[in-house]
Amino acid sequence: MANTSLKTLAILNAKAPYASSAGKDALDIAMIFGSFEQAVSLFFQGDGVWQLIQGQDGSIISVKDYLKTFAAFEFYDIEDIYVCQASLEARNLPVKFHIEEVQVLNPQAFAQKLTSHQAILRF
Amino acid sequence: MFVIKYDLEINTVNKLAVVITTPPYSNLSVTALDYIETALKAGVELVGVFFYQDGVMHANASIQIASDEFQAISHWQRLHQAYKLPLHLCITAAEKRGISDENPLNIHSIFTISGLGELVELSSVADRMVQF
Repeated sequence: MANTSLKTLAILNAKAPYASSAGKDALDIAMIFGSFEQAVSLFFQGDGVWQLIQGQDGSIISVKDYLKTFAAFEFYDIEDIYVCQASLEARNLPVKFHIEEVQVLNPQAFAQKLTSHQAILRF
Repeated sequence: MFVIKYDLEINTVNKLAVVITTPPYSNLSVTALDYIETALKAGVELVGVFFYQDGVMHANASIQIASDEFQAISHWQRLHQAYKLPLHLCITAAEKRGISDENPLNIHSIFTISGLGELVELSSVADRMVQF
């Protein structure tokens, strides 16, 4: 059988930013894959969509504001960033994010895009 | 105690990487070890297991789990010895949880001190990566 090694990694973020370190742990993986020039896409779903919302500052509650680092995605060639439209709507959140290049997808398109990746890690 | 459940799936996999993000007292450890052992017995090349987040607790030599509960570490030791299974520990995640290589007695000797770069390496070699 031909060797079909993993080419693209999807990181699925499903937790809100500050209650746990899941978002930061996911970010660290995204950055390391980016710095090794490995393709990585980011997905935000469920409470994970909060990680993209503008105007948050973790330092107010003494949590390292790792969301600021999202601004460096372009530098790491992380350009495929997807958010679930239904998750935004369920939380009555605006389609306004603290980074650019975020694509809003309906659940079907979101799932389709996610499963087009060879590997998925979820946080 | 391990039952073959996954043969249909792993027949299509040549090289498998496994990521463990849950602690040894999680029941997912049982599923993970079951999956790994079944893959190894089916002849799948397991390129490595990477321990991240609370998964690093598997390497903590101070953890003691009640003797009538599932002993994940004894199964990691068994698989490591039988198959030379590489067990990579994310040291940053480990140190955050009091598991440091400054004291070698702190970490079970079957684990290799690694970083996230190793995860990149494993994913570039493997044709499937599964997280527990």
